[in-house]
Amino acid sequence: MERRLELLYILAALTGFIILVFNVFPILNTFYWTDWDTVKMTLTDKMVINSIWTSVKCASITTIISFFLGIPLAYYLARHEFKLKNLIESLVDIPMVIPHTVAGICLLTVVSPRSPVGHFLKTHNIEALGTEMGIVLGMLFVSMPLLVDSARDAFKWVPVRMENVSRSLGATHLETFFRITFVLSWRGILSGMIITWARAISEFGAVIILAYHPMTAPTLIYERFSAYGMKYAVPANIILVVISIIIFVVLRLVSLKGRQRHDSR
Amino acid sequence: MIHVKNLNITLGTFRIKNVNLKIKKGEFLVLLGPTAAGKSVIIEAIAGLVPIQSGQIIVNNRDVTKLRPEERNITICYQDYNLFPHMNVQNNITYGLRFKKDKHNPQYRKNFKELVKLLKIESILERMPLNLSGGEQQRVSLARGLIGNPDVLLLDEPLSALDPNIKATIQEELKNIHRTLHTTIIMVTHDFIEANYLAQSVAIVHDGKIIQQGKPEEIFQSPSSVFAAQFIGVKNIFRIEEPAELEFFGLTKPGYIGIRPENVYISLKPIKTDYHFQAEIGDIRNNQIYMEILCCNTRRDYLAYLTINRFFELGLTKGMTVYFGFNKKSLIHIHEKPVQDLKCKA
Repeated sequence: MERRLELLYILAALTGFIILVFNVFPILNTFYWTDWDTVKMTLTDKMVINSIWTSVKCASITTIISFFLGIPLAYYLARHEFKLKNLIESLVDIPMVIPHTVAGICLLTVVSPRSPVGHFLKTHNIEALGTEMGIVLGMLFVSMPLLVDSARDAFKWVPVRMENVSRSLGATHLETFFRITFVLSWRGILSGMIITWARAISEFGAVIILAYHPMTAPTLIYERFSAYGMKYAVPANIILVVISIIIFVVLRLVSLKGRQRHDSR
Repeated sequence: MIHVKNLNITLGTFRIKNVNLKIKKGEFLVLLGPTAAGKSVIIEAIAGLVPIQSGQIIVNNRDVTKLRPEERNITICYQDYNLFPHMNVQNNITYGLRFKKDKHNPQYRKNFKELVKLLKIESILERMPLNLSGGEQQRVSLARGLIGNPDVLLLDEPLSALDPNIKATIQEELKNIHRTLHTTIIMVTHDFIEANYLAQSVAIVHDGKIIQQGKPEEIFQSPSSVFAAQFIGVKNIFRIEEPAELEFFGLTKPGYIGIRPENVYISLKPIKTDYHFQAEIGDIRNNQIYMEILCCNTRRDYLAYLTINRFFELGLTKGMTVYFGFNKKSLIHIHEKPVQDLKCKA
């Protein structure tokens, strides 16, 4: 049969091309812009290395916290219908629609020493402002909804009847969750964790309000750009882009490998 | 013995109303009813998977009403098999054993061997569910449900997703398994032929209520309501009220009678059945397996089924005058009973 060119597919190809160029071109262009001698110098700059390490570490802690806090809620939302479900889902997603500097200010009102929570933290020698804890709080606020949403969708994919069968065979609810539901949703959850991590490492607006120091990579790049201009901002930029892409690709490969193993069974 | 007493469930706007069931140990009960009648909800409640409002479920003298599903020793198999896709067939079958207190009991190994043989799945033990046909998946699902010696096996439309040939095979295997293992089985179906073939006892479910329970032959011979009669394939259902007609059909009070279309004879000459009439053929439908003939009498229209050969033998055409009739033993008296009559007295 002769293959016809469908208008919709031509349109999809065109818009897809625009999106790909829009996503990839600015990143590639940064490499063109850069002075490679400065990149080499930047690689030995302790401040840059520390800021990247802070970003990676805080984004990873954020992802782990999101995982432990988000998974039970995501499972509940996937399995139950109740009156206030839409409201709760909206409340979970609210940080995604708030400008991130606004989110930072909101968090600041909670953890500043003048607020009851901030006062409580202060009296227990817990410092949120200007610490890694502040960075994690900022990252958590804006990225946790992504994990909850991904995990909820992944849990929905596992039929309730499969869980029913497992329970009727003698597994408790918790055993069923770990042996069946979680195993079968793991790929979706892992994707959610990757997105959460990526969102956390790129967070700037909320983090800068809560913790200018210790500097995360986006804060450092912003500082270099405003103080010294493109020449000193781009090398740090490139290092962060490369590290982020490497981690992203590795995690995607792990997730894809799991998928292929699952599909080939 | 399984005893479901005055079971009431509310799920949104749907209600299960005062369901009572008694199933002897080792019996095969079929819950028969149309879609959305509440059959699946009843068995899920027996398994502890649906919260109940009131009522009691007793299994072998043990009150399981408040027990969690995993504590009841009641297994469930659904029409969509629900095999665990990340485990091979063998691991699917033995999945439930790891949760048993006596998991090392050699009886389970014996059960495994016996079930695998009975269900003819020896050759697929290493395969993953994704690579199995519908029939194979249902066999694995049955083996998984039976291996741990459940007190009751619940089957939720286990044959409805299968093609007719496989369906007949699995039906036979199901009967064979029940004959061999004597497990108490409660099966849900909307197919009265399937129910008639498999069940030792049938309960008709309609609108969240059990409207009749009994042996299949009792139900098929004396449906307790017009709905039950229609559901088990009685097409000619008439209300008899006039004194002359009451006497003609041997009824003492106004009520319904029914005649299965396959019990209506048609002839071109006067016919010698217990009841016989003259009629004009109002409609003829060929469904490729048999012919549906509508006989229009001056009083009522009767539907009759004829084999295709018989139809061509008679050379029937629309508008033709024929004789038709049926015998007394084919006449079904439908005694409409209020549902409360079935209420459990215990």
